[in-house]
Amino acid sequence: MTIDAQRRRLLGATLCAGALSPWASLSFAGNAGADGRRLAVVILRGGMDGLSAVPAVGDPDFAAARGALAQFGAAPLPLDNTFALHPELTQLHAMYGQRELAVVHAVGLPYRERSHFDAQQVLESGGVRPYELSTGWLGRALAHSGAKGIALSTAVPLVLRGPGTIDTWAPSALPDPSAELVMRLERMYGSDAALATALARAKALHLDGAMMAAMEKSDGPAKGATLLAQRAAEFLSQPSGPQAAVLELGGWDTHANQSAPNGALTNNLRTLDTGLAALRDGLVAGGAWKRSIVVVMTEFGREVAINGTQGTDHGTGGAAFVLGGAIKGGRVIADWPGLAKKDRFEGRDLRTTLDMRSVLKGVLSQHLQVASRALDREVFPGSDPVKPLEVA
Amino acid sequence: MNSASLNAAIAAHRFGLAEASLETVGSDPQGWLLSQIGAADKARGDGLLSTPEAWAHVKAEAEKRKLAKNPPPGMNAEQVLAGHYRDVIVADVRSRFVTAATTQRPFAERLQLFWSNHFTVSLAKGSVRGLVGAFERDAIRPNIAGSFESLLNASTTHPAMLRYLDNAQSAGPHSRAVAFAARRAERMQEGPKLTGLNENLAREILELHTLGAESARNPSARGGYTQADVTSFAAVLTGWRIGPEHSGSELPFDPKWHEPGRKTVLGKSYPEGPEALRMVLYDLARHPATAHFLSTKLARHFVADDPPPELVDRLAATYLRHDGQLGEVYRELVRAPQAWHPQPAKLKTPEEFVISTARMLNLGDRMFERNDGAGVVALGQRPHAAPSPAGWPDRADDWLGPDAVWKRVEWATRAGERVGRTADARAIAAASLGPLLGDESRRQIERAADGPQALALLLMAPEFQRR
Repeated sequence: MTIDAQRRRLLGATLCAGALSPWASLSFAGNAGADGRRLAVVILRGGMDGLSAVPAVGDPDFAAARGALAQFGAAPLPLDNTFALHPELTQLHAMYGQRELAVVHAVGLPYRERSHFDAQQVLESGGVRPYELSTGWLGRALAHSGAKGIALSTAVPLVLRGPGTIDTWAPSALPDPSAELVMRLERMYGSDAALATALARAKALHLDGAMMAAMEKSDGPAKGATLLAQRAAEFLSQPSGPQAAVLELGGWDTHANQSAPNGALTNNLRTLDTGLAALRDGLVAGGAWKRSIVVVMTEFGREVAINGTQGTDHGTGGAAFVLGGAIKGGRVIADWPGLAKKDRFEGRDLRTTLDMRSVLKGVLSQHLQVASRALDREVFPGSDPVKPLEVA
Repeated sequence: MNSASLNAAIAAHRFGLAEASLETVGSDPQGWLLSQIGAADKARGDGLLSTPEAWAHVKAEAEKRKLAKNPPPGMNAEQVLAGHYRDVIVADVRSRFVTAATTQRPFAERLQLFWSNHFTVSLAKGSVRGLVGAFERDAIRPNIAGSFESLLNASTTHPAMLRYLDNAQSAGPHSRAVAFAARRAERMQEGPKLTGLNENLAREILELHTLGAESARNPSARGGYTQADVTSFAAVLTGWRIGPEHSGSELPFDPKWHEPGRKTVLGKSYPEGPEALRMVLYDLARHPATAHFLSTKLARHFVADDPPPELVDRLAATYLRHDGQLGEVYRELVRAPQAWHPQPAKLKTPEEFVISTARMLNLGDRMFERNDGAGVVALGQRPHAAPSPAGWPDRADDWLGPDAVWKRVEWATRAGERVGRTADARAIAAASLGPLLGDESRRQIERAADGPQALALLLMAPEFQRR
């Protein structure tokens, strides 16, 4: 296919550009602000079906390979001759038109088994095998430049864990503790470093008056993902705020009835589209959108064929999104392997032709100015052969 | 420091759910724990449905759905369906808390909570609404101290698990059900709705319930398994489903959905039919990889996030020697010196924090009268709604985010406001924590501005947050 050949060339070119310009992305450790650049990472837990989110409608094998899953409630939103977006992703489609969204396909991890929990561990740790690393790639990248990170959740997700300071934030319906109580707790935690650290970080976050006022002001009817996206945008828009924020959306493990009009996948994609639009709107309002990149990633794609229950079982290769005011968007980045059975991984999954670490290394080097040595050795250890993709 | 009372405090907090007074434990802490080994208490509370009753309630909802398509005058479809499960879910959650807060066998209750989490079925998935409490009461509670095989069988064949991990919809590709669906689809000129396997349950039994994910990573190691094992185990599992024709009291197997022929799982061949599942589970339950995986999880739960390997080996050896008799493994755990280290290493989960507060403050079921889960939801652990089949995490890192700790401080503030005016936190701390209470915590509680603050400090003291 000529399209495939073009894609192959495009990919090759971007990889070379990344490989040839390591000096351009060198920076000094401690350059915490990186000119006020911001990164948001959205983790879709459960394994988003990449071929539903980004159907390869122009692939001659698509309809036969996908069966009933090739049918959508409305027409998919075209991206180019091969790819389209799921009809629920209208706002993402608009961003694509504005060149603020790049769609990445046939992307995956070095890990090729099909366990959610192992795959998420690899996705977040930045390793090759599950549990070889116990901290996260973003946590290590931020610590390298002394930058702060925040998770829009009660717990710190693995991707942000590392030597640096990580804040967490989630909405609360409980009363505020008094400053005096917090002070006494700090004394109590003199011999419990873990509790002391968590309390100190929480205190800094909650007793910062300006930030609280800003958040109360914008208290709207937003719910769930949208609320968290708005908060993330507010944190990222602060001049001395965190450089990176992590959000999580669950419920992507669609083993059954996934294409129903109100099925889990349809609803999830709608929530994702709305949430990402809220994140963009918040960053635009805070003046940070032009300095921002958002990466949307999942632990694996799903099996190409429909399973016995109108859903899909665990697979490997899938899709990811990179959006923001600081990216070269309006393109699909894919070395498309095709969907014929012989082209699939183990005869069942979309073959992974692009390492997710390549996307992440591109974002970290070109956008957050993380030095390539640090990327190869600390952030994604042993990843020298995985060249950064050109994204920014 | 009196070592008998230190061990009493460890027994009460590390193995139990806190006591208002260490006198409850008595002079033989190990004996106190060993005497609790057995089936968990019967769940307490009103409005609790048995599995057949819960299944009937689920079927009644299906009837309502039909009615909702043509709602009676004056009602819309939403009103017909509204709140069908509300009372059941509220009763289930309250019972979970009240039973744990009032039981005299808190070690057995901890094990109940542990196995309910190991075999997670979660309200995060709509298809198990109304069944989670019945699963806990009927599949887990009676089986926590028998053989692991019984527990595994009870979990795997319960309607809640069959629905949660999609097995209720999985059919053999060559089964009569699939052939029937194909003929029907042809007649109706539409695509068939049912064509074959769904491997969700098969994979999670291997990865999360028995051999462990480690085994998937090393297909060549002992207990290693491959995609082919997952697929053929899924074929063994076909037919295990619950449908409208079932009452919920029989073994839910439907031969029409079962894949014909023999299947090979982990190199061993199993016959066609319902017996094969029991045989596969028999072999999985006795597998050394299962012994090691379960022993690691138990030791992690009670002793340390990264448990001493010699303790894990000791538990695994006991497990294998006694054919997976769980009571024997618990006895070994209680007798192991590594489990009695004075320094508490584990951070309580939010649920343990809330339940142990109720017990330490002798509140009985008072905290659980409002149907708000006593605030556990705000602490990040919605009861019966774990985020994935892996259940809630069991490492401190997962609960130690700044926001998580801040929410605990907020929760303790509220508990202090509600109870602290009438309680003497100093006396409670001495009676419940005994020698575990450190000097700095005692000093801060004594110097507190008022009763509510003193109680909040006690609840947030490292000695009470950890166990």
